[in-house]
This record gives sequence, C-alpha cells and structure tokens, in this order.
Amino acid sequence: MNSQTLRDLSLALAVVALGPVTLPALAADLDSKSPDELLAAAKAEGQVVVYSFTSRIKKVEKAFEEAYPGIDLVGYDISSTEQIARLQAEHQAGVTNADVVYISDAPVVFDKLLGAGIIGPYVPPRVADRVPAAFKQPLLAQRLSTKVLMYNEEANPNGPPVSNLWELTTERWKGRVVMVDPLQRGDYLDLMTEIVLQSGAMAAAYEAQFGKPIALSSGIANAGEQFISDLFANDVILVGSTDDVNAAVGKLGQSNPPVGFTSYSDRRDNAEEGWALQLANTVEPAPGIVFPAVLGIAEGAQNPAAARLVIDFLMGDDSATGGAGFKPFYVPGDYATRTDIAPHPDAVPLPEFKAWRVNPQKTAEIRAEIADLVLTLQ
Amino acid sequence: MALAAIDGMGRRLFAAPGRFLSVFVLAIAVILIAAPLVKIALVTISPQTIAAWGDVLTSRLSPNLFYKPLGNTLLIGASVAGGCVIIGGFLAWLVMMTDVPFRRTIAVLSTLPFMIPSFAAALAWSVLFRNERVGGQIGFLQGLGMEIPDWLAWGMVPSLIVLITHYYSLTFTVIAAALATVNADLVEAAQMTGASRRRVFFGIILPVTLPAVIAGGSLSFAGGVSNFAVPALLGLPVRMQTLSTRIYGMMEVGQTARGYVIALLLVLISAFFLWLGNRLITGRRSYATITGKGGRAKRFDLGGLRWPLCTLALTISVFATIVPVLVLTASSFAPSASALLSNWTLHYWLGESTPSIAQGLAGIAHNPDILSAIGITIGLGLIVAAAGSAVGLLISYSLVRAKRGFVPTAVSQLCFLPLFIPGIAFGAAYIALYGAPIGPFPALYGTFGLLVLAATAFLLPFAVQTGRAVIQQVSGDLEESARLTGAGFVRRLTAITIPLSARGLTAGALLVFVKIVRDLSLVVLLFTPTMPVLSVVAYRYASEGFAQFANAITVVILLISITVSLIANRLQAKSQPWLQA
Repeated sequence: MNSQTLRDLSLALAVVALGPVTLPALAADLDSKSPDELLAAAKAEGQVVVYSFTSRIKKVEKAFEEAYPGIDLVGYDISSTEQIARLQAEHQAGVTNADVVYISDAPVVFDKLLGAGIIGPYVPPRVADRVPAAFKQPLLAQRLSTKVLMYNEEANPNGPPVSNLWELTTERWKGRVVMVDPLQRGDYLDLMTEIVLQSGAMAAAYEAQFGKPIALSSGIANAGEQFISDLFANDVILVGSTDDVNAAVGKLGQSNPPVGFTSYSDRRDNAEEGWALQLANTVEPAPGIVFPAVLGIAEGAQNPAAARLVIDFLMGDDSATGGAGFKPFYVPGDYATRTDIAPHPDAVPLPEFKAWRVNPQKTAEIRAEIADLVLTLQ
Repeated sequence: MALAAIDGMGRRLFAAPGRFLSVFVLAIAVILIAAPLVKIALVTISPQTIAAWGDVLTSRLSPNLFYKPLGNTLLIGASVAGGCVIIGGFLAWLVMMTDVPFRRTIAVLSTLPFMIPSFAAALAWSVLFRNERVGGQIGFLQGLGMEIPDWLAWGMVPSLIVLITHYYSLTFTVIAAALATVNADLVEAAQMTGASRRRVFFGIILPVTLPAVIAGGSLSFAGGVSNFAVPALLGLPVRMQTLSTRIYGMMEVGQTARGYVIALLLVLISAFFLWLGNRLITGRRSYATITGKGGRAKRFDLGGLRWPLCTLALTISVFATIVPVLVLTASSFAPSASALLSNWTLHYWLGESTPSIAQGLAGIAHNPDILSAIGITIGLGLIVAAAGSAVGLLISYSLVRAKRGFVPTAVSQLCFLPLFIPGIAFGAAYIALYGAPIGPFPALYGTFGLLVLAATAFLLPFAVQTGRAVIQQVSGDLEESARLTGAGFVRRLTAITIPLSARGLTAGALLVFVKIVRDLSLVVLLFTPTMPVLSVVAYRYASEGFAQFANAITVVILLISITVSLIANRLQAKSQPWLQA
C-alpha cells in the first residue's frame, strides 16, 4: 500500500517535472526517446510489470535489474492463451496490470489485442534501422520461435527416426507422439492450423509415404484435417507444458523414447536437464512452424517509460550476440529478428530450416474452426 | 388478484419487527448470491452468445464439450457417494455401536481427511503412482521398479480413490451424529424379545440412520460432482474431462460463453441431486424422533473380529490422512519423486534461484510470488472469516428472531443456495457480474475485493449455520429482558449474544478460514497473477511440472489448515458428543 502510494506520488512528480503535456502526447514523445532519455522517467516510475509467455523472463528480470538498478522488473510467466484471456478481461474491467506484453500467438494478438486497442506497438528507435520492416509491423517481433518435431538423439544416433509426418499416424508411433493440448496453448493450435493450411503439401507427403492418393474420411475437408484426426486416433499424448514434452522425448537413458512437438530452442537445456533433444529437420513435408514472438505496450500502461526501456533491453545491445538483454534468447533454435545479431553457431541456419513460416492473417481466419475440430477429437 | 397478493406481502413485509434489518440482509443476500447467478444466465441468452447453448447441447462438439464430461461427472458423483457411505458408514458404526478398540483414535482420524485439501491428496497420489505416460518425473513406485499401469496412474480410478478418501469423513460425521441418537430403549427392547443382531441392525438402526445415510451420500455426491482439483490433476493428462475441468478449460481459452453455459448446467445438475436427497429424507422424517431419547445403547460385541476390524479401520484412516501428508512432505525435499527418500535438499524451501533447477525458480523463502501468495491467502482467510461470521450472525439473527414471512424465507433460501453451486461455477458467475464496471462502481476483476466478496458469499451457508446454532443457544428471555430495559439492537448483540456465543462463533470462523485457505475450485478462475493465492500457485506449478514446489506449497497449506481445524474442533468439542464416548 505504502510503496504504491509512494510510486504514484513520484510518478505524479515526474509528470509535473516533465511540464504541462497531455498524456497521449507524452506517450508519442516517449516513443522517440533514446534509452538514456527514458531512464530518468523510468526510475521515477520505479517498477515495470511484464507478462511473458516464456519462463526465461526470470533471467531477463535479473539482467535488467543489474543493468538498471532502481527499477524493479516484475515478470509473470503466463502462457499466451492465458495472457490474451486475462488482458481482455482486465481491459473490460478497466484495469491495467501489465506494462509490457511479451507474447506469441500473433494471429490472435494482432486481431484481439492490437485490433481492440488493448496493446499498442513500440519500436525502440535505437534498433529500428536493424530490424526488417516485416518484423516491425504491426507489432515488433523480438525473435522467431518454433514448434517442431524433436527426437531423442541418444537413442537415435543416426538421425531422426521419422522421415514423414504421416508415419506418426501409423501403429509404430501409437501412443508415442507427445505434444501440449492445442486447446491450452495457442502456438500448438497454430501448428495444427498451419498443417491444415498446408493441406497440399500434406496430401503430397501422404502419397509419398503410403504410395496412394489420400482418401478423406467423412466430415473431413482436407489432408491437413485428416492428419490431425489420424494423429488423435493414434493416441497422441497431450500434456500440460512444453517441459513435459521435453522430458518425455529428451530424457537420457530411454531405450524407446517417443517423439514430440516442442520448441527447437529447448535444446539449450539438454546439458542442464539431462535431455538429448534434437530437431527432426528432414521430416517431410516440414517439421513444424516458425512464428514470431512479439512485444507490445499495454494501453494505459502505468509505467510507460520503464516499459519502453524493457523492450529496448529485450532487443539486445550493440554487441554481436545482443548482450545481457538478449542472452536468454541467444540460444540454438531461436532466431533473432535483428539483422546484425550473428546466427547461433549450433543451430540449423534459418534459410536451411524447413519449418513453415506462420502467416498470422490466414491462420486467424480458420483458427477457431480448427480449435473446434480438435475439441471433437479429444 | 396479483396486486392483492403483493399488497398483502408488502404489508407483512413492513409490519414485521426489525423490518429494516430484514430488508438489509435481503439486500446482502441478493448482491452476494442472487445477482451473480442471474447475470450469468442473462449473459448466455444475449444475442451474441445464445449460440453457445446450441454448441454445448446439440452440435457436433456436444459429445466432447458436454455429454462425455457429464457422464464422467455423474459416474464420479455416484461412485463417490456409494464409496463414502460404505466407508464412512462402516467407520461410524464401528465407533458408535461396537466395542472395537481405539474408538476415540479412529473417530478423530476419521474426521481428518476432510481437512486435507483434495488437491493435496491428488498430488500425493501422483508422487506415488505417476508413470511415464505423460513424461516428466516418474513416481516413487515406478522408481522402485514396479510397473504402474495407466489406469492406476491416471484417470477415473485414481480420481475416485482420492475423492472417496477425501469425502468419506463427511459421511462419517453425519452418520455418526445420527447413530448417537439411536434410542437405546428400542435396541434393548428388541434384544430382550430375542431379536438377532442382524435383525436389530436392519430393523432399527438402519431405518433410524437412513436419513443421515442419504444426507451423507448426497453431500459427498455433490462434493464429487463439483470437485475441480482431482480430475484436473489426475484426469486431464489422459483427456478425462468433467464438467468442472471443461468450465475451467473454456474460460482459460477465452470461450467464456460456452463456459458459462456449462457452469449453469452444472449448477442445475448438482442442485437437482441435492434436492432429491432432501426429498428422500423429508419423506422419512417420521423415523427421526420416535420417543424421547433413552440411555446409550449397549455396544455390539464384535468378538473375534475386534482386532481385525480395528486394524482395517486404522489402515483406511492412515492411508487417507497420514500417508498423503508424509508423501508430500518427503517429496518437497526430494529432487526426484522416483527416489523419494534420497538426495534430500532444502532447495525447494530455502534455495536461491539457480538456473539449473526448475528454470531458476527460487525456493519458497526466496520466491516473491509464493511469499506474496502466502500473505494474500492468510489475509483473505482472516477477512473472509471475519466478514463471513459478521454477515452470518446478522442474517441468522434476523432469521431466528423474525421466523416467518416472505423476506426471511427468501433470505434463508438464498443463503443456502451456494451449497448447491460448485465452486468453479460460482467463480464464473462472479467474473460475469463483477468483471466489468457496474454503473459508478469500478470493476473488481483481479482485485482483493473480488476474492473477499466471492469467498464470503460462497461460504455464507456455513457462516449462517454457525450463526443460527449459536443464537439458538442463547435464550430469547435474555434478549427480551434487555429489550425491556431499553437496550438497542447493537447493544443487545454486543453485550449478550456475541459474548455468550463467542466460542461457537470463533469455531465457525476458523472453519470458514480453513475452507477458504485450502479452496481451489472457487479461486481458480478468480486468480490473477497480480493477486495470487496459494492453492492456485500450487496447482499451476503442478501442471507446469514443478512438482516439488507445488508439494512444498501444499505442505504449507496443510500446516495452516490442520492446525486451525484442530483448534476449531477443540472449541466445538461439546457439540460433537460422539467424540466423548
């Protein structure tokens, strides 16, 4: 209570000190400021709340507070799906808890959050010229993340045990494909949606696998839906989080491990967690999806200057690997959007990475339908 | 005609003594209970959302969205009711009617499971029985080299076992109380005329206790139907959905209209079965008091079965109470559940953040999220206990003193309504109503105030029950004389009723405190990251694979819950005569 009052008071002082400017003008003004110019106002705010879809926010928190002592970064690890539901509810309630929103699920975010004015864009001027235009519109993408087929390389030293996605619907993989429930995590729903959008490629892959053209079951509209339906019929295991997928697939010492859809970048934890996760990049027609992780500022954010400072920090410093702010993301399997950050040496370079690039608009069009399809299959 | 009726009603309303008080408590009951329910119903019939009814009931989604979860829910309700009546009834019979050794110990142990939150028991189950089906850590037994089949690790069977061990103490309490009233004269008369033990049991004891059996059964049915934590932790990994888990899933992905529809249907279903149970009891009421209460019945001589039955009863109690507590405590120290007793570390309690453990999550003592959750949870418990007791006392005072008329009837019905409403549905209704601003009042979404309001309303039946009991103990004569000497309402309440009933009120308040501290189903939808409560933090850690943290938090909840329950029991001991025997 007390610190809240203090904070409000110091914020009021800061506003007074900045002179008689109206708030929107202040926000526009903040957008063009350099980190050094933001710092004083950010320090006066004293705190900044980040909703993050990745648990790596805890590492960012530590690094940020070391770089900017006196500004308390409060990071919450909340899945994208839940962030969207919460931000909508908070907006409806007229409450603004978050300052920075760090989120995947771009198809829904662009439509339901950005479109509804719940969050707004911000591109730090310091890095603006080093991010391709496609990654600055409509929201700034910090990096590209993935949901792809991974296998256990200790048990499969000669490469992926699967060469075609359709193998996952055969007896050999019954009950041995793991993923997170697509109704609980939006990026998995995006993966399912992309498979449907890529029905042409899925149909060709079916023929390559089984030597005959695909025959659709009744009520199934295309090869993508057929794949999802067959995958569920083959007892796909649904778990609650990607870490559960990682442990199931990657744990060392398994003789017959399952395969699963998870983040390529989780390979970074192999040594720490005792996993042997590896990307099945050669699988036909593609191992999964690549999608942007985007950053926005909550409309009516209580700490607008500190929020901008956090986004600036998350985009990395001027060193070749992005420095402390980008360090948690400078890992094999995450791809920086900044053109001047060197690709990670241990990962498949982006041009050779076969995963599909998600098209947020097209995904948004049929996503709800695919969610209902998945619901009927469970 | 209608006008005349309303007029008559109106006159009664305003002529009744203390009408200001009655109207005031009616307003409280409407704001706390009726309004959220009306709102949720209205939301689902608005033009944008009315389609949700079709989606839930008659679309290609319906089997998975509603009918299969409904089937699971009813199966759980029926099995839990059956199991609880058998186990609770058996224990109550043993304690009350037989010469089994360690009766007192068995009695105390039989009331304990209800103090252990059901999610604690579910977590303990997965520490022991988890297999590798869904990845992550394996359980203790699998770690010992046993092969745990899927049906024992996940889904319906473990859910039923955990729920029955949780709710049987409820049926035990109800049936034991009924057995305490069995008239010894009847039993002795029967025995003297040569009736066999079997005959006495089926001819006298069973009919007399039948209302209690039905009441206990329908309470545990309602408990099983509305439970969220157990099917969520043990069922969801194998896609076993109940109506509660469906509501949660729909709300979490933003399909609120479908969630509200399912919530309404769940309310109707539990209300129907509780009503049915009530009907059955009412029909049987004539058995309740045949004559005045005689002496205590002679205990059945169990003969050679004394020790085997005692062992059985103690085994059941130990597995339902002591084992889960020990397992959770051990697993909050063990880095791996498969080796529960090795490599113990204090990291999950005292450790600083290290990147190599649980994504850098710090132990309880250093984890700001958990620390603030502890503060918020205890604060919530205290405020709800105080507010609930105050409101409960006020309402029951007005009910006891006013007795009849339209307003008291409406208030009394409304106050007991939450008993029929599963916590998760109640939470959904609160979000529907108080999630957006109402006129000049700001929205309560994500505020401490919303938690307090919802929890107070949800526990109002218990608070009113306590209030009624204590007020009826205070003789009306005292009130009357005070009133004659000119004491006002507030003075009568503070100088007579409250001091005389302080012990009962405190016990009631403590029980409300415990109920809210260990509740998950009500708060799981009201939770926001900025307003965390312990049970939800534990649930989220558990579903994200940070089992040790979840278990450590649960141990904290257990400690609070058991300590406070024992204090409350002590204060209430006099109202539980079967414990004195």
